[in-house]
Amino acid sequence: MQSGRDNNHVFGEFDIMNKKGQEEMVGFALIVIIVSVIILVFLGFFLSSKNNESTKTLEAENFVLSSLQYSTECTDYYGYISLKNLIFLCNSQTDCVSGQDSCEVLNSTLQGILNQSWKVGGGSSIKGYELNISSNTGWILDMEKGNLTGNSEGTLQPFSDGTGASVNIVFNVYH
Amino acid sequence: MAIMLLAITLFLALAAMFILATQFSDLKERASIIAADNAQLLISKIANSPEFSCGDSYGSEMSSCIDADKVINLKKDISQYGNGGFWGVDGIQIRTIYPQNTGIECTALNYPNCDIITIVKGNGTGISSFVSLCGKISVNEIAYNKCNLAEIIITYSGSLT
Repeated sequence: MQSGRDNNHVFGEFDIMNKKGQEEMVGFALIVIIVSVIILVFLGFFLSSKNNESTKTLEAENFVLSSLQYSTECTDYYGYISLKNLIFLCNSQTDCVSGQDSCEVLNSTLQGILNQSWKVGGGSSIKGYELNISSNTGWILDMEKGNLTGNSEGTLQPFSDGTGASVNIVFNVYH
Repeated sequence: MAIMLLAITLFLALAAMFILATQFSDLKERASIIAADNAQLLISKIANSPEFSCGDSYGSEMSSCIDADKVINLKKDISQYGNGGFWGVDGIQIRTIYPQNTGIECTALNYPNCDIITIVKGNGTGISSFVSLCGKISVNEIAYNKCNLAEIIITYSGSLT
């Protein structure tokens, strides 16, 4: 009799412990699910946010490459100097044959090209642009216009003149 | 146990929805980017085709360079190219950007004192790309190379995707 009562008592305690264990498991599972959902929401928000880093685009690249071939008003003994050669001329502080300051010609030509090519503001989707030209010996030219927003596309064009001088052109368009 | 199974199913469903949402959320945007890239590549293909490109006529080999002298002659013979059908486009036009465009259409008579070369007039979706438009000009009976900044505009009907 005594042992039967004891057994009932033991089974009763086991039932309570079992129920408590199940409740803890459910609670633990719920916590895991809630934490997982929160992580998923954060991940989704993080992944869907736009990538604001500059990406190389064909349009910007074509613009830079085409502009470099433009015949400037600066001349040498063979004819009109291309914009690309004018950059090297400006970098070496050499004037045009006609006597003009190569850097002044470079500045005015690029200003004209940029103004005609990229209409900034108003109803345009382009909010601004920036152009940076530097060489292995230092800075050559910086130009920017409009609002430099976080949404940009651009290109980096490195080239050299074959005599050791190298130039980097960075052009970014902001939308 | 039933609650656990339910919870796991719910979690897997949420995870699947999350993956699908992130994978397909920017599908339209990606499609339009691919279409724009295809259009740019088509322009590059046309600009670098032998009928348009400068080759090494102006010194070294240049990419995205259109030979104005070739194009003026191409304008006369464009019917031999199916009026642009050869390249799969409806219209091709080249417009000078810099020095400033005064809107004068080029003919064999007024070239190079003009700004717009309409090879084929076209209707439909128009896309453009920067090119350099190079030609020979005569100064005091000496021929010089002269390159302007221009844009090539192609028009096409339908989709390029």
